[in-house]
Amino acid sequence: MAFAIEFFLRRISQGVVIVILVAFVIFTLLRIVPGDPIRIILGPMASAAALEEKATELGLRDPIYVQFGRFMGQVTTGDFGRSFIRGAQGGSAGGSQDAAGYNPESRASVSGLIANALPYSLQLAALGIAFAFLVAIPIGLGAGLRAGKWPDRLGLYVSSLFVSLPNIWVGVVLIFLLSAKTGWLPAIGYQGFAYTIIPAMVLAIELSPVMIRAISVSVAANLGEVYFDVGLVRGLSRRTMVAKHVLRNAAVPLLNLFGAQMIGMLLGGLFVVEYIFSYPGIGMLTINAVFQRDFPIIQAVAILASAALVAINMLVDFASTTIDRRLKF
Amino acid sequence: MSKSLATHMSPASNSHAAMAPVMEVRGLSVVVNTAAGERNILTDIDLTVAPRSVLGIIGESGSGKTVLSRAMVNWLKPPLAITKGSVRYDGRDLLTLPAATMAGLRGREIAYIGANPTSALDPTVPVGHQILEKLRAVAPELTPQAARQRVIDTLDAVRIPSPKQRFDEYPFQFSGGMMQRAMIVDALVSNPKLLIADNITQPLDVTVAAQILRLLRDLQKDFDTSIVFVSSSLGIVSEIADDMIVLDRGHIVERQSVRGLLATPEHAYTKELIAKVPMIWASAETPPVPSSGDIVLDVRDVGKTYRVRDRKAIFAERQVRAVRGVSFTVRRGENFGIIGESGCGKSTLSRLLSCLEQPDAGQIQFEGRDIATLKGRDLLGLRRRFQLLLQDPYNAIAAHASIGRTIAEPLLIHGLGSRREIEHKVKDVMAEVGLAPALYNQLPIGLSAGQRQRVNIARALVLEPELLILDETLSSLDQVEQAKLLDLFETLQVKRGITYVYISHDLAMVRRVCARIAVMYLGRIVELADNDTMYWRSAHPYTRALLSAVPTVEAKPYRTATYLLEGEPPDPIDIPPGCSFRTRCPFAFDRCATDDPSQTIYADGNASACHLPLNSLPAPELAH
Ligand code: SF4
Repeated sequence: MAFAIEFFLRRISQGVVIVILVAFVIFTLLRIVPGDPIRIILGPMASAAALEEKATELGLRDPIYVQFGRFMGQVTTGDFGRSFIRGAQGGSAGGSQDAAGYNPESRASVSGLIANALPYSLQLAALGIAFAFLVAIPIGLGAGLRAGKWPDRLGLYVSSLFVSLPNIWVGVVLIFLLSAKTGWLPAIGYQGFAYTIIPAMVLAIELSPVMIRAISVSVAANLGEVYFDVGLVRGLSRRTMVAKHVLRNAAVPLLNLFGAQMIGMLLGGLFVVEYIFSYPGIGMLTINAVFQRDFPIIQAVAILASAALVAINMLVDFASTTIDRRLKF
Repeated sequence: MSKSLATHMSPASNSHAAMAPVMEVRGLSVVVNTAAGERNILTDIDLTVAPRSVLGIIGESGSGKTVLSRAMVNWLKPPLAITKGSVRYDGRDLLTLPAATMAGLRGREIAYIGANPTSALDPTVPVGHQILEKLRAVAPELTPQAARQRVIDTLDAVRIPSPKQRFDEYPFQFSGGMMQRAMIVDALVSNPKLLIADNITQPLDVTVAAQILRLLRDLQKDFDTSIVFVSSSLGIVSEIADDMIVLDRGHIVERQSVRGLLATPEHAYTKELIAKVPMIWASAETPPVPSSGDIVLDVRDVGKTYRVRDRKAIFAERQVRAVRGVSFTVRRGENFGIIGESGCGKSTLSRLLSCLEQPDAGQIQFEGRDIATLKGRDLLGLRRRFQLLLQDPYNAIAAHASIGRTIAEPLLIHGLGSRREIEHKVKDVMAEVGLAPALYNQLPIGLSAGQRQRVNIARALVLEPELLILDETLSSLDQVEQAKLLDLFETLQVKRGITYVYISHDLAMVRRVCARIAVMYLGRIVELADNDTMYWRSAHPYTRALLSAVPTVEAKPYRTATYLLEGEPPDPIDIPPGCSFRTRCPFAFDRCATDDPSQTIYADGNASACHLPLNSLPAPELAH
């Protein structure tokens, strides 16, 4: 118990520092890249004097650390500012007003936009991971338990095949086969749960090769451990040793892989897949924001993504130490 | 071992089988299939395990003894294959049994314990739970409560302290000795008729190995189990076995009772084996005497504490007191020995002596200068004259550099001399340590362990050191190679006046080469004496316990029964108050619990840290 409290106190405080640093870097970068945000807000028609006046009013001419401090102050209350572009009622409004007509209140709040998009992305990610598990666990286990035999080769072939398929192409093919040709599943946009299935399959195909490899490698490695062999001589059956000990030990590297690599892949995958399928999640929101230089959305997504990464890694590490008490963090 | 436990686990022995042999191996041959064809590992092995007896099998590495012990539980995997013979147990040939029937016997009636206790169990599951799992697998008729109770009782029977609590602890929280006890519990908990113990004391310290041997002997009586005890140490097998079999390159060359074998060995190989067991007391050599040169190394009250995180409290640390108040001096041209068992702090001390770490207390002076205060050039200069040689010659040598280059490396680092001079020097040193000049341009591939260690020695010698610290340097070498290197060290000492500090657990080697010896226990020197005093009239109970536990085949001045230690050294985190040896000392009395004994220096310059007055320990049973 004491260990758990200390672990979380330590890791949460470290995590907060990391997220603040990431936020600062992103915040600064977005302000030194070319393109004055006030131009984006007010559009190309506004006069230089009007721009300056409005920029000063919005605090965009303050030193960066002042702006950052103000921003972080808002963030702690859950307010990530307002979109430069998107109107409160939805749709883009950028670039059409003059200086006098711009009123920040008319723009959508970033937290609101994210809160709307997040459930879609979570649903897609969860289904994608579930599909990936469905494929990777049986194939990976088979490959690990029968190293050198046909299941091992099957694992190798499947993962090499999946790795070499570009996800855009997979997406197009699946849309063609499952939607356009047969009409079994809807594909573009979102009007119900069925719209998640094809994008999730594309995600799963991207995630599963890494999982298959990781599962088969760590299961095979554990079969080679002394304790496995000794267990059989001690009088335990192979089935017991695999079910009770090998899987447990193999879970630790898998968890770490999940924290270190899969989450990154998943985030990247979401962006591409959501874009391909016009799926209204965070990825779509962000990509549109990038095209429109809608900085508040970009920085909010980046900060939240880093916070999610830190949190998931913390949970993964905690799960690992609970399984294997030798690990120290 | 409590009687009640033995009765409630009464073995399922059938009375008619009381005198019939437990196991008979007939004409067993095993080969290994390699790319180059079959190679014989065991040839025509015949042996019989009598009921309620201990059969010892002795053989050097490569004799096939592990293969034999695994064949006896029908547990050989490719490329090993049994080509002929039978292993009869309980009227059946194990080698022809269906796999499922054999699996039912293994672990239930025939138990096997190996030499790797620390990796034998799943590292992520508590030890007790795994033993319970096994017991439930082989004895499903037991209720969970009864099974759990039996595991705890058996943990108690092998004298694991606080067995209830230990039941829930993880393998990494057990020391090697404790883990080996747990494996014995695991084997005996199902009440097997036959226990095959393959080299089980090999990774253990001598005092712990001695305890395990005595424990096995007691358990063998209580549990009515026959034991096949396989080992490479004649001293150890002769402690426990009734009958003995000598295995040489896959053949049984001799079988006799232990007494007969030691007294009148018949086969030349057996004689050779007996001759190889180093003699500590019966040796004809005179041990080295202390030197009267000037003081080279002066260690004063040195201490080192490490901090580890405490899992049971928030933001708490615990202090591991690895080295506590160690003082000694080493004189020029002398061999100084530091001995002790694992965890006694000798490796930490070696790191402190070789400036790899700084002590938190005290001073280490080399030729009158405190090494902690040296920096930059001075330190580098000092490092040259002060070399550390480690045990593992494999990791220390880069695989991709030629041997000449490896040896020259320190000279290049210190920028000593031109290329020609360096090459000249390296070749000289190679000749000195006995490496052929042809090796100069070769890669270290294919070098034997002994040759690798010579490369290491040469690399230290090119810097012309005055002090060499040998931290278990020779431990991984066989007797013959070890003897050759000791001779080399002696020659170098005569020629160059080098001073050696031997840090070792090998009491026979230290007896042979060191003039003065310090014995460490729990981070402290408990006795410091000259060689003869140490081995014949030691003043500290721990030293005597250590010496009584050495596996030898000669008469010892200290009887094992008088000095045998209970338990294991306490954790250096929780050092008990009073004398730190008190928890295991057979002579402890009231005062030891409160007063920490300081070192008493006797008239002859020797010292020990014990409250007992000199000469109050039992008189040695062997006169010098
Ligand atoms: S002081 Fe006491 S406990 Fe310590 S070694 Fe001497 S007799 Fe044993």
